[in-house]
Amino acid sequence: MPPLIRLDRVSKSYEEGTEVRSVLRETSATIEAGEFVAVRGRSGSGKSTLLNLLAGLDLPTAGDVFVEDACVNRLSSHDRTVFRRDRVGFVFQFFNLIPTLTVMENVQLPAELTGSGSVSANARARSLLEAVGLSDRARQFPDRLSGGEQQRVAIARALVQDARLVLADEPTGNLDDATGQVVLDLLDRFTRKAGKTLVLVTHSREVAERADRVLTIEDGHLKAAKDG
Amino acid sequence: MLSPILLRTGLRDLRRRPLHTGLMVLGVALGVAVVVAIDLANESARRGFARSSEAIAGRATHQVRGGPSGVPEDLLRRLRVDWGLRASAPVVEGVVVAPDLDRQPLTLLGVDPLSEGPFRTHLGSGSPAAPNLARFFDDPSAVIVGSGLANRYRLGIGSRVRLLVDDRFETVRIMGVVRDAPGASEALEGLLLMDVGAAQRLLRTEGWLSRIDMILTEAEAARLRRDLPPAVRLAPASEQAETMTQLTAAFQLNLTALSLLALVVGMFLIYNTVMFSVVQRRAVLGTLRALGTTPAQVFALILVETAAASALGSLLGLALGWFLGQGAVRLVTRTINDLYYVLSVTGAPLTAGAAVRALGFGIGAGIVSALAPALEAARVEPVAALRRSVLESAARRRVSDVALAGLALGAAGVACLLLVPSSLFASFAGLFGVVLGLALLTPAATLVLMAGIGPLAARFVGTLGRLAARTVTTSIARTGVAIAALMVAVSVTIGVSLMIQSFRSTVENWLGLTLRADLYLAAPRPARSARPPTISADLQARVRAVPGVAEVEVFRAVEVASPEGPVALSVADPRRERSADLYRFAEGSPAVIWSRVREGAVLVSEPFAHRRRIPVHGGVVTLQTDRGLHVFPVAGVFYDYASERGTVLVARPIYERYWDDRGISSLAVYLSPEASLEDVARRVRAAVAGSALQVVSTRSLRRGALRVFDRTFAVTEALRLLAVVVAFVGVWSALMALQAERTRELATLVALGLTPRRLWGLTFLETGFMGLAAGLLSFPTGALLALILVEVINVRSFGWTMRLVFEPSVFAQALLVSVAAALLASVYPVLRLGKMPVAAALRLE
Repeated sequence: MPPLIRLDRVSKSYEEGTEVRSVLRETSATIEAGEFVAVRGRSGSGKSTLLNLLAGLDLPTAGDVFVEDACVNRLSSHDRTVFRRDRVGFVFQFFNLIPTLTVMENVQLPAELTGSGSVSANARARSLLEAVGLSDRARQFPDRLSGGEQQRVAIARALVQDARLVLADEPTGNLDDATGQVVLDLLDRFTRKAGKTLVLVTHSREVAERADRVLTIEDGHLKAAKDG
Repeated sequence: MLSPILLRTGLRDLRRRPLHTGLMVLGVALGVAVVVAIDLANESARRGFARSSEAIAGRATHQVRGGPSGVPEDLLRRLRVDWGLRASAPVVEGVVVAPDLDRQPLTLLGVDPLSEGPFRTHLGSGSPAAPNLARFFDDPSAVIVGSGLANRYRLGIGSRVRLLVDDRFETVRIMGVVRDAPGASEALEGLLLMDVGAAQRLLRTEGWLSRIDMILTEAEAARLRRDLPPAVRLAPASEQAETMTQLTAAFQLNLTALSLLALVVGMFLIYNTVMFSVVQRRAVLGTLRALGTTPAQVFALILVETAAASALGSLLGLALGWFLGQGAVRLVTRTINDLYYVLSVTGAPLTAGAAVRALGFGIGAGIVSALAPALEAARVEPVAALRRSVLESAARRRVSDVALAGLALGAAGVACLLLVPSSLFASFAGLFGVVLGLALLTPAATLVLMAGIGPLAARFVGTLGRLAARTVTTSIARTGVAIAALMVAVSVTIGVSLMIQSFRSTVENWLGLTLRADLYLAAPRPARSARPPTISADLQARVRAVPGVAEVEVFRAVEVASPEGPVALSVADPRRERSADLYRFAEGSPAVIWSRVREGAVLVSEPFAHRRRIPVHGGVVTLQTDRGLHVFPVAGVFYDYASERGTVLVARPIYERYWDDRGISSLAVYLSPEASLEDVARRVRAAVAGSALQVVSTRSLRRGALRVFDRTFAVTEALRLLAVVVAFVGVWSALMALQAERTRELATLVALGLTPRRLWGLTFLETGFMGLAAGLLSFPTGALLALILVEVINVRSFGWTMRLVFEPSVFAQALLVSVAAALLASVYPVLRLGKMPVAAALRLE
C-alpha cells in the first residue's frame, strides 16, 4: 500500500528583510496510513511549517508534498482550500474556535462548508460532541468553555468530515497536564484507533512517547528521533 | 455561496461588537442623512414649483405673451372672433406681498371664471351659478385662496388680507376657499385667485393682460404664430416652467454635490471600521480559511456584514435626513425665493423615490468602502492570516501604490476639469477626482511629515515624542485613513470658506462700485416676478422737489421675451458714467461703451454672457420689443452679482423707442454737496409717506444685499459642519481601533513604569500629530478646492467671476479645528486606557 504522505526533497525558506532563513532543506519522508507520528524540534525549527505544508496552508520553496494521490503544492489555491476542507482535520494550539458560533455550529461548520445536508452534518456533529463529552454544552459559545473543553470541541471539529488525515499543532501546549492527557486520549481514540493518520507537533517528550514514530527536525532535515 | 453558519458568524460579530458596529452605522447614517436632507429639499422645491406652475398654467398648450406691459386686452376679442379660437382664457398675473401673513410673497392670478373651464379647475365647473362666484364679478376685492394657506393663517370667508401692491397697500376679501386636490397641497400654496377685471384694477394694468392661455392644435398654433402682431408672440405653455427649472438646476446640483461630499467622508469612516474589523478578526478569518472557507466566501462575508450595518445606518440616516430635510427645505426655498422665483413649500415629505435612493446610496457606499478591506481579507493566505500584523505590513507596503493611484486620480480629475469645459457634471467629477486623489496621497505625505516631526518631538518631549510619531507611522493603515478623512473634511471647510469669503469680498467691492447714490427708493420686490413693481409718477415728482436733492436717476427692471426665453432687462439712465472696474472684455473705455449704449447697443451681465454664450466681441442679443423682434449689438460685459439669471442693460431713450412701457421701478437720489443725508432722508420719507415705497441709504442697501448673500450660503455652512462631524467620528473610531490593537504594547509600557499621566500624554501626542498632519495637508487641498470652486464650478454654474482671496485666518482656523477635533476624539480612548487591566492585556496573544 502506498504511503499516505510523501515529502519529496521539500525545502522551505523565508525572506527576512535582506536575509533568507531556511527552515526545511531538501527533506524527504513518508508517513503510512493509520500511523500516529509525532514531530519534535526546537522552537523555530520548522515543525509548524511542516504541518502548514501538509495542509496546503503554505507552499514549499522547492520539492513536492503528496497526500494520498494529490500533490498538494501543485493544486490551485481553490483546490487546496477544497482539499483542506474535505481531506484534512486540523487541531490548533490555541483552539481557534469561532467566537461568534456556538459549540455545535463550530463543529458543524466544516461539514456545512462542503455543502453537506444540514441534517447529516447535525447528526455527525452531535454524535462527536457526545463522544468528546460535551453534548450538554452544544448551544454555548466558546468563551464559556475551559481551555480543555475548547480543545475537545476543536477535536470534534477536526473529525466531523471524517478526514483520513488529522494534523495537530501543539494540541496540549496551552493546557495543564491532566487536561492534556484527556485531549491526547481523545485524539488517540478517534484517529489511530479509528484507522486515521495523525501527525502531531509537540515539544513534549511525554506526548511524543504515545506516538508510533517520532520525527525530529534538525538543521532543516526531518529525521527519526534517536530517543524515540 | 455563504452557508447559514458563515452568515451567522458575520452577523453575530456585528452584534458582539456594538461600538464598532455603531461606528459603521453612524458613518452611513450621517452621510445618508445629509444626502436625504438635500434630496428632499431639492425634490420638494421642484415638486412645489411644478405644482404651482401647473396651477397657474393649467391645461393650456400655448400662451400669447407680450412685452413688459403685457398683451393688449383687445387681442383676446380678436383671437376669439376673428380667428375663431374659443379655447382662450385671459390671465393677469402679479406678485404681491401679504405683510400680515409673515410677509409672504403671493402670486395674484386674475382669471375669467367663464373662460376658465377648459384650463383650470380651481373654480369648480366655472359656472356663474356656483356659490360665491357671482360675488367674484361684483366685488372688486374678492379673492379665492387655497385651503392650505387659509388653514395656516386661520383665514375664512370674509377675512380681509392686506397686500403690498407695487408702492401701495391694498386690502382684499376672501370669498372662497378651494380644497386642494389630494397629494397636491403645494398647488394652491401662495396663490390668490381673482376676477381678471378686478386684478387689472388692483395691479393698475387696465386694458392689458399678462398673457392669454390657449388650447391649440399644432396647425392652429402655426397659423397663429404667423399672423400675430409683432409686439406679441406665441410660446409653448411649458416655456416658463422649463426656464425656471433650468435656472435652479445649477444651484441644486451644487447642493447635491456638497451633500455627496459628506457621504464620501462617511465612506472613509466605513472603510476604517471595516478594515479594523478585518485586522481584529485576522485569527478568526485565518481559522475559517484553514477550515476550508474559500477566499470568495470570506470576501462575501465581509461585504454581507457591511451591507447589513449599512442597511441599518441607511434607515437611521433616512429618519435623521427627513428631520434635517424639514430645515433644509426652508433654507433652500428661501434661497430660491431670494434669487429665482416665488416658491411656497410647506414641508419635505419622504417619498418612496427618496427612500430608495437613500438606501441605495447608503448600502452602495458601505459596500464600495468595504471592497478594499474585503479583498484584503480574502487575498491573504490562511497561514499568513494566522500571523499578526500581516495586514498592517501589507498596508504599509502599499502606501506608495496608493500614492501613485492618488496621483493618477488627481491627474484624471484635472484633465476632467480642463478637457470638458462646458459640463458642470464633469467639473464636479473633476473636483471629486482631485480631492480623492489628494486623500490617497495623504498616507505617503503623513510618513514624510512624521519623519520630520519625530526627531523634533524627541528633542522636546524625549522618547515618548519619538514613539508617538512612530506610532502614527507604523500604524499608517489605520492612522492614514483617519488623517485622510479629517484632511478631506477640513479641506472642504477651507475650500468653501475661501470661496464664500472671496465671493463676499467680490460682492462687497462690486456693491461699492455700483451703489454710488446716497439714497435709493424702491417698492418691495418679493422675488424675480415677471411684473416688477412700478412707482407712481407723482411720487417721482415729489422726491425731485425735496430740498437737498441734487439729482434723481430712474431705473426700470422688466422682463421681456426673447427667442431663447425670458430676459431680465434693466433700463438705466446713460448720462452718469460708471466706474471702469465694472466692466470686463469691454472694448475701449467706459466713455466709449456708454456712447455706444446711448446709440442703441446694450450691455450684458457676466452670468447672461455665460448662459447665452455671448462672445467677447461682436455679440448680439435678440429681444422681443413692442415693435417686433429686434437685434441689439452688445457693447460690453459688466460684472453683476445681483442675479444669477443675468441681465441686459439698455439706455432709457432706447427702451422708450422700442417699448411702450414708461414705468419706473426704482430711484437713485444724489444729494447736493452741502445737504445732510439724515435730513434729506427724513424729508424724502415724509414726501412719500402713505405709500409702500422704501427709502434706504446706500449703507443699509448694501447690508441687505449681504444679508441675502449670507442666507444663500447658510445651507453650505450647515453641510460643511456636518462633514467635520463625520470626520471627527472617523478619527475617534481610528483611535479606538489603534488602541485596541496596541493594548499589549501599551500594557508593556505601563508595566515598565509609564505613569497613567504620561500614557495619556503619549496618546494625546499621537492624536495631536494626526490632527496636525491632517491640518497641514488640508492647506494645499483646501486651497486647490477653493481655486476649483471659484475658477471653475462657480463660473460654470453661475457665470460669476470672483477674485480669489486667500485669507490666512481661514487656514489658521482649519489647523485649530483639525488638531482640536483629533484631541477631542482621543478623550474617550484615553479614559478607557485608564481602566486597562494591565496583567490581562500583557497576556494577550
